[in-house]
Amino acid sequence: MVELKKILYVEDEPDIQAVAKLALEMVGGFTLEVCSSGQEALDKAAGFAPQLILLDVMMPGMDGPATLAALRESPDLDAVPVIFMTAKVQPGEVAHYKELGAVDVIPKPFDPMDLSDTIRKIWEDCHG
Amino acid sequence: MDEDKAARMQAQLAAMRETYALQLPEKIRQIEETWTGLQNEWNDETFQTLHRMVHSLTGSGATFGFTMLSEAARTLEILIKGLLAEGKTPLSPAHRGELGVYLKALRDASHNADLKKSAKDAAAPGAPHCDANNRLIFLVDDDVHLAENLGLQISYFGYTVRAFPTLGEAFRTIIQTPPSVLLLDIDFPEDSLGGFNLLEQINREIGYILPTIFISVHGELEYRLKAVRAGGSAYFNKPLDAAVLIDKLEEVTSCEREEPCRILIVDDSRSLADYYASILQGAGMETQIVNEPLKVMGPLLEFMPDLILMDVYMPECSGLELAKVIRQQERFVSIPIVFLSAETDMEKQLDAMSLGGDDFLTKPIRPEHLVSSVTTRVRRSRVLRSFMVRDSLTGLLNHTTIKAQLDVQLARVKRVGGKLSFAMLDIDHFKSVNDTYGHPTGDRVIRSLSRLLQQRLRTSDVVGRYGGEEFAVIFNDTDGATAVHLLDEIRRDFGHIRHQHEKGEFSVTISAGVADFPGIDDPAMLNEAADKALYEAKHGGRNRVVLSQA
Repeated sequence: MVELKKILYVEDEPDIQAVAKLALEMVGGFTLEVCSSGQEALDKAAGFAPQLILLDVMMPGMDGPATLAALRESPDLDAVPVIFMTAKVQPGEVAHYKELGAVDVIPKPFDPMDLSDTIRKIWEDCHG
Repeated sequence: MDEDKAARMQAQLAAMRETYALQLPEKIRQIEETWTGLQNEWNDETFQTLHRMVHSLTGSGATFGFTMLSEAARTLEILIKGLLAEGKTPLSPAHRGELGVYLKALRDASHNADLKKSAKDAAAPGAPHCDANNRLIFLVDDDVHLAENLGLQISYFGYTVRAFPTLGEAFRTIIQTPPSVLLLDIDFPEDSLGGFNLLEQINREIGYILPTIFISVHGELEYRLKAVRAGGSAYFNKPLDAAVLIDKLEEVTSCEREEPCRILIVDDSRSLADYYASILQGAGMETQIVNEPLKVMGPLLEFMPDLILMDVYMPECSGLELAKVIRQQERFVSIPIVFLSAETDMEKQLDAMSLGGDDFLTKPIRPEHLVSSVTTRVRRSRVLRSFMVRDSLTGLLNHTTIKAQLDVQLARVKRVGGKLSFAMLDIDHFKSVNDTYGHPTGDRVIRSLSRLLQQRLRTSDVVGRYGGEEFAVIFNDTDGATAVHLLDEIRRDFGHIRHQHEKGEFSVTISAGVADFPGIDDPAMLNEAADKALYEAKHGGRNRVVLSQA
C-alpha cells in the first residue's frame, strides 16, 4: 500500500484550519495544502496532486458536496478519495454523504491528537 | 510522537484555545446582529448565513474544549435547519420567539465558556457496556471435577461457561476477551494466593474492575478481606450451593437484563423530535415520535412507552391538555409524562404539573441531562409498577397481571394475525419438598424455576407465577408444538439441577400443559385447556409436557 503523504484540506473557518493544520502536519507528519474555499481547492488541486482530499461540508459559496462534484469532473482527480468533515448533526447524514461519493465522514469536533490516526485508518480501509 | 513535540503541540493548542475564547464574544455579537437584521427585514439568504455561522460554532466550540457552547449551537442549528427544510421562512412570531430563546442560551453558554474544561473529559474509558447476549462466565479452578460439575449447573441457566485449570491460561484468555463474570478459586498448586494475584493483574491489564466471585475452601475473615481488596463482588465457601451462586450471578450481571427504556416523543417540530430521539437512542433507549398531538393514542397503545416526553407548545392542542386527556384513561394514570418547554416561569410549570405532568425540563436541554432525567424517571416508575404487577418471591408477573396480559396478547394476535400459545406449569410433588426440606428450601426451588424460565425463554415470552408452585407462560407468535419443544428442554434441564440442603442434594421435576391459538380463541378457554393438559401430564406420570388436543 502506498503511504499517505499529501493531503488537500479545504476549510473556510480559520480557527479550525489552524487546529487541523497543527494536527495533520505536526502530529501526522503529512504534507498539507490548505484551501479556504471550494474554488481555491479547484484551482490548486491539479497542481498539488493530492493523494487524499479532506473537505468541509458547509462553506459559503461552493459547499463541500458541490466542490466534490466539481473535483470529480477533472480526470486527474476523479479517483482521489474524499473525506467530508462536518459538525455531526443527524444519523442519516453520514450515509447521505457516502452516497455522494465520500469514502468517510469525520465528525467535528475532532480531537487534534487523534485526527491523523483517524485519517490513516480511513486511508488503509480504502486501500485494504 | 516524542514528548518534546507533544508538549509543543499542547502549548500551541492552548494558545489557539485562548485566541478562540477571546474571539468568541465577537462571534456571538455577529450572530445576534445578523438575527436582529433578519427580524427587521427578512431575507432567506441572510438566514442561510445565520445557519452557517451557528454551524461553525457547533464544529469549532468543542474542538477548543467548549463543549456546552457546541451543544447550545447544535440545538440552535437543528432548529434552524428544520425550519429551512420545512420551508417555514419567513419565520412566524412563534418560531422567532423560539429561536430567540435558543440564541439566548447560546450567548449564556459563551459566557460560561470555561477555558479549563476540555471536551475530552467527558469520555472516560470504562467497563464495556451491558450486552444482553453477553452471558459468558469464566471459571478458574484447579479442581477439574468441581469445575465440570459447577459449569454444567450454571449452564442450565443460560450462561456460557468456560473452565480454566491454571492461572496462566486464564490470564492470557481474559485479557483478550474478558467475560461478564469471573468465578475464581483462591488456592492454586502454583500459588496459594493465586486467585487474588490473578485478579489484581487482570484489573490492571484491562483497566476496569472485572466482576468476580471468589469461591474457596477458606472461610477466614482474612481471606474475605483480601477478596474485597482485590475487587471481588462476592465470596462463597466450598462446597457451593449452585442456587445461591446463580442468585449472585444474576445480581452481578443484572444490568444485562434491564430492558431498554421506551420513550414516546410528542413534539410538533420534526427536527427537534428527531434530535431528542437520536440522543435517547444514543443512550440505548427505544423511541417513537408523534408529530401531530391528536394522533398520540395509537402509538401510545401500540408502543406502550415507559415515559412520554412532550413539548408544551403545539398547534391543535397544548401538551398540558394532551397530558390531561392521557391521564383520564385508567391504564395511563401512572405513566410518567415529562414536559419539554422553553417555559421558565415557575407558576406555569406548576400549572403543568397539576394537569398531570411529572417533570418539567427547560429547553434547550443538554443531552446528558435529558438522558439522566429520563432514565431516573423510568427506573422509579418501573420499580413502583413492579410492586403492583410482580410477584414478590420470584419477580415474575403476578396472577392478575399474567391473566390481563393473556387478554391483551390474544387480542393483539387476533387483530394482526399469527399464533400464540399458553402454558401452565407445576412443580411435581412440591408438597413433599416443603415437608422434607422446609419452606425456605421450597421457596428456593420456586425461585430457581422462575429464574430458569426467565433466562431460557425468549424476551417476547411472558412469564408469570400463577400461585403456589404454579407458573404460566404466554408464547407470542409461537404454535403449540414449538412451545412444547421449548418447555420440554426446560423441563429436562430443570430435572438435572441439584438443589442443596443439609440433608443432602435432591432434584425436582416439572409438568406442563400447553394450549394454542388459533385452535382456541378465547382467553378463558385457553387457560382452561392448558390447565386440562397439565392435569393430563400429571395423570400420565408427571415430568412431561402435554399439548392440549382441544
